[in-house]
Amino acid sequence: MSTPDGADTELPRYPGPAAPRTGGAAIVVRGLRKKFGTKEAVAGIDLEVAAGSLAGLVGPNGAGKTTSLSMMTGLLRPDSGQILINGIDVWADPPAAKAVIGVVPAEARLFDRLSGEELLEYAGRLRGLPAGQARSRAAQLLDVLDLAGDARRLVADYSTGMRKKAALGCALIHNPPVLFLDEPLEGVDPVSGDVIRRLLARFAGSGSTVLFSSHVMELVEQVCDHVSIIDKGKIVVTGTIDEVRGGKTLQRAFIDLVGPRATDKEVLSWLGSSSS
Amino acid sequence: MARLLVQLKLRLLVNALRSSNSAKISFIISSAFAVLLAIFTFIVLAGFRGKSTSVELTSVIFTVFAFGWLIAPILVFGVDSTLDPSTLALYPLRTRPLATGLLAASFTGFWPLANVVGLLGVTVGLASGGLGVIVAVAAVVLQVLFCIALSRFVTTSLASLLRSRRGRDLAAFLIIPLVALYEFFTQVVPKAASEGKITAASFTGFDSWMRWLPPGLAAHAIQDASDGRPGLAFARLGALAAVIVVFVWLWVRSLGRALVTADTTTQSSRVRGMKLPLAGLGLRGAVAARFWLYQRREPLSLVYWGLVAVITAAVSASSVFGQQHHPATILASAVFGAAFVGIFHANAAAQTGPAFVLEATALGRRRDLRAYFSGQNLVLCVIGAPLVVAVCFALAAVVGDPGMGVEAAPIVLAGLGAALGLGDLFTAALPYPMVKRAGTPVFVAAPGYAGHRIGSVLGTLAGTAALAAPVIVGAVLAANGPDAIRIGVLLPGAAVYGFVLAVAGVRLAAKVAESKMPEICQVALRTAA
Repeated sequence: MSTPDGADTELPRYPGPAAPRTGGAAIVVRGLRKKFGTKEAVAGIDLEVAAGSLAGLVGPNGAGKTTSLSMMTGLLRPDSGQILINGIDVWADPPAAKAVIGVVPAEARLFDRLSGEELLEYAGRLRGLPAGQARSRAAQLLDVLDLAGDARRLVADYSTGMRKKAALGCALIHNPPVLFLDEPLEGVDPVSGDVIRRLLARFAGSGSTVLFSSHVMELVEQVCDHVSIIDKGKIVVTGTIDEVRGGKTLQRAFIDLVGPRATDKEVLSWLGSSSS
Repeated sequence: MARLLVQLKLRLLVNALRSSNSAKISFIISSAFAVLLAIFTFIVLAGFRGKSTSVELTSVIFTVFAFGWLIAPILVFGVDSTLDPSTLALYPLRTRPLATGLLAASFTGFWPLANVVGLLGVTVGLASGGLGVIVAVAAVVLQVLFCIALSRFVTTSLASLLRSRRGRDLAAFLIIPLVALYEFFTQVVPKAASEGKITAASFTGFDSWMRWLPPGLAAHAIQDASDGRPGLAFARLGALAAVIVVFVWLWVRSLGRALVTADTTTQSSRVRGMKLPLAGLGLRGAVAARFWLYQRREPLSLVYWGLVAVITAAVSASSVFGQQHHPATILASAVFGAAFVGIFHANAAAQTGPAFVLEATALGRRRDLRAYFSGQNLVLCVIGAPLVVAVCFALAAVVGDPGMGVEAAPIVLAGLGAALGLGDLFTAALPYPMVKRAGTPVFVAAPGYAGHRIGSVLGTLAGTAALAAPVIVGAVLAANGPDAIRIGVLLPGAAVYGFVLAVAGVRLAAKVAESKMPEICQVALRTAA
């Protein structure tokens, strides 16, 4: 990759194994569990995401998506289980695992008193990039994310979509082999959503691995090659998109799997313009 | 509408009480304070009976109450959810009944009742005769009505401001004069009163202009009625009622505008610089650069520095304003000032909030965490050391003993090293979630974590004093020695000692944080701004 100032001629992988040591799987999760008080948020998850794939983790609210992703990214200590990222055990060697991942949290709460370009440069320098390289990558990412015009505005004044894009830029600046995103399109307008979608597809197309949680079935259907459905802390189905939807839309398959709600016809008989 | 909003306020109160034990305790404490305020105000006002300056003193008390109503909703209570017009904007409500309803809701609660009961002390202290008492009761009701109308007008006008970033930034700075005033009243006024510097006659001058303000009108109406001038009394009450009507009218207009006006205060905030500074210092430089920018751009950081200066000065206030100067208190100022730099910046991950995730995903190894803590300390030292030393020199100059400034400087350096090290240690070992409620500028411990906060504050304060003790002893012993020893030996010695303490704190904190990173991160995520 070339840059305007020539500071960044290529995007080297951040330290860590170049190729996964887990038989082609970039993310391996075995027997992952987490309890909060008496509630079992994650009740024994087993999951494998192949290197270079773009995988979706979908489930209803409270299913355990965010808790699972937090444990996979070293932000929440699991009660039991093992997580391997590119062959590195996240909880045996957290710093090594953190070095090979990028994370976009659900709530894009960033350092909002920095400008967009300062924020991305800071994220790059935190990841050990030289200042010049961090700066040039920040400029390129802001450009691709359609934030170049707002690069000098404080993040505090960014909209939700802009914050999500800035968070994605922070997660990508060190060019991690594996990227985790929690609800990347929540509250994002269609234009920003398309920018994020295209960037993720391009990133995965280059051989990197992406795992993201989402409620937006259309997005998962469009960009993912694999999907896992999680409900009540357990993976209820996993496979390629075609395998999981089984001839239906993913939305239908999802609702069938996690259980449709009882009809409200009787109770809400007064509702609607034909009623008085 | 009035009934509905009163019910809404009561329902919200009951729900809050049911939600947690800490809310119950908070309500009980608040109610107890309201009762105490009522009793105290009643006794104070009743105690003015027979004094020649009773009307002036009553005017002062009435004005203080109006001032309290003006600033309390902004600084202490935030924008009450029942009173923020934006929450009602979706409902088809006409402004006039809405205003009446909100006014009625404002009357509901312990504090308005405590105000009425407390101010009724004027029926004993200022009023005399049947007409005097009747006018006193009317004046108290009008005074409380005025306070509420004024408060509602200001709150409604500021509601949109307080919901915006810039508005909150602006409001944050109000806490500095408030703390300074508090320190002045608690440290200086009682001392001045006991020395006879403040007497009832001190307020005579104030009354010449205060009598024309609404609270003054209420107080003077009572006196006029008691002195047999009913016409003048009722004219004053009429003027007060007119002022209330004007405020209610302004409030209604402001309310109508607030319901349909978008927040436009966050539209442009460009920064001039292009690069983060300290590019050559690696990870430490990156953390220091971010932290440095935050010291300038984050109002809370500026508030903390303002408070450090106020606290440093306040510790010596009794010497500065008292008849007998005790220059040694400036040494205590040095210890307190340095300690509070550490206290305000302890629990750093929680104060960073959910943004800490960005740092947590990058910091893993112990050397990274050392860079994280030392980068922040670097900035705090660069700002804190000259600030506290300068305040100490200013205090020394004011008490007429500039030499005390020279003695205080090494104590500041050693104390700062100790405080920063301890602050880092508390950040790593005792992290706790914090909250920043709407309208309040500073972080407080989340419900249930007050013990952590108290432990961190007292631990840092006591630890700083203990660790700085050798330098304090050295400063006292060298007080009468030659300048070569004081400046040439003690100052660099203290600087090295402070540096060693800070480094020890950083190393220990990094060791603790390395194994607790996920827990620290969860605390940061639970902190709500």
